[in-house]
Amino acid sequence: MTPPKPNTVEFNKQKTILYARVGPPGSGAARYAAAMYFYNMKLMPVEMLEIYRRCSKFDDEDPNDLATYEGVQDCLLDFSTSLRKKT
Amino acid sequence: MESLACKMNTNVRDIAIPNDWDRRGLPGWCYHSPALLELEKEKLFKTHWQIACHVSDIPEAGSFQCFDMCDERAIILRDPNNEVRAYYNICRHRGSRLVVKEQGTCPNALICPFHGWVYNLDGTLRGPGRPESFPQMDKSKFGLRPIEMEVWQGFVFVRFRPGPQPSVAELMRPFEEEAAAYKMDQHVPTDGIWTEKSPVNWKSVRDVDNEGYHVAMAHPALQDLYGSTYKDEPFVDGVSRSDGEFTPTKGRRWAVRNYKKMSMPQSFLPEHLQKRWLYYGIFPNSVIAVTPETVLFYQEFPVATGESVLRSATYRNETENRQQRAARYLAARIDRETVDEDIQLTIWSNEAMASDSFEGFYLSDLEYGVRSHHDHLRKVLPIYTLDDAPNEDELSALNTSMQHTGQT
Repeated sequence: MTPPKPNTVEFNKQKTILYARVGPPGSGAARYAAAMYFYNMKLMPVEMLEIYRRCSKFDDEDPNDLATYEGVQDCLLDFSTSLRKKT
Repeated sequence: MESLACKMNTNVRDIAIPNDWDRRGLPGWCYHSPALLELEKEKLFKTHWQIACHVSDIPEAGSFQCFDMCDERAIILRDPNNEVRAYYNICRHRGSRLVVKEQGTCPNALICPFHGWVYNLDGTLRGPGRPESFPQMDKSKFGLRPIEMEVWQGFVFVRFRPGPQPSVAELMRPFEEEAAAYKMDQHVPTDGIWTEKSPVNWKSVRDVDNEGYHVAMAHPALQDLYGSTYKDEPFVDGVSRSDGEFTPTKGRRWAVRNYKKMSMPQSFLPEHLQKRWLYYGIFPNSVIAVTPETVLFYQEFPVATGESVLRSATYRNETENRQQRAARYLAARIDRETVDEDIQLTIWSNEAMASDSFEGFYLSDLEYGVRSHHDHLRKVLPIYTLDDAPNEDELSALNTSMQHTGQT
């Protein structure tokens, strides 16, 4: 499977979903699905993907908070940096 | 006009009732044999078209509708290209139910609640949970398994296994023109999909529904609505048709009287369908019914020899006005009353099958629809032709052997 190309409509859509407001029903699952998209692009480290997986059933849980709590904020930073480079 | 409609159908279907026909029904043992029920699930329900939902139940990308039947589970969903798709609702990892809710929207992807495998809306695997714990995966081998699906007049049909029926369009060809007039595909949901368990064998539900002989006795509202105009066409090549035209009387019952008053001509319907309720039976267990105000489907599935699930949904014209809405409400009231009456009849019919003293049906010409349905059953499973119950352990093998020797 060819990795998706950045800066496409889909890329921007997934980025919007990933950073969408915490809370709405289904948003936790949607964020995790978006995280998988960025993992496939080798933009998200596996540790962050796991954070999103753990938050996927909890729409009110902010993955960034959990990443900080779990001490994987470096991964979060890595992801944000690589995402910025691509966009 | 009524005769025109009938003529149209007789041109393509031989609906004549034979002069001398076997008026017996299925033997009683067929209604309480667990081994037969398993055969029915495998050879009838999974191999014949089933109505899963209507396209309007899944209006936007990511909308889904689940459909469970006979230990199988399907998910019908709309993909980002607006295409309707049908998959087994089974994760390729451990077989978990992928979507738990009956209906809803997955805005981005489908996610297995067990371990978090993520599937795109086109069924391809986006990725497994904890991907680093797997060797390099060929994701194309782990997509959701599609189910055979066909949309006919807005209804989404699925078939879990290949079977003897042609496409739904081919099956329904005799009624294509008539059904198209209703613009069923442009209807929208009313109050969702209704299910209820009933303590009867599924065939007892069909046995009641496949004849109108009981209408005058059991359904005062329907009798008041279309009374003596009601008629049944038997199952021919897998489909039956019944209809009743409103009688010219005002209506003695409140709901019928007001329904007749409120029901108004629909611009899209030809004159001969303006005051008619029509039912298309689809072998083995489904019905699509149309009125000027609504289209609906109903069906039943076996759970156990003495338990079935009844499932139904009603759809309305998208642009109905207040009067049409009132008429639809009244039609639903008549229909609800009829369903309750039918459920009682199915219980009485089913309990007869458990009694050793009941010697079986002796059917009226007005019940030939029941016989024609049973004949269709016998064609698929010749074991139904045995008067006495075979040994449960040998039933399946005996049926196969009868099929090979052409005994129906």
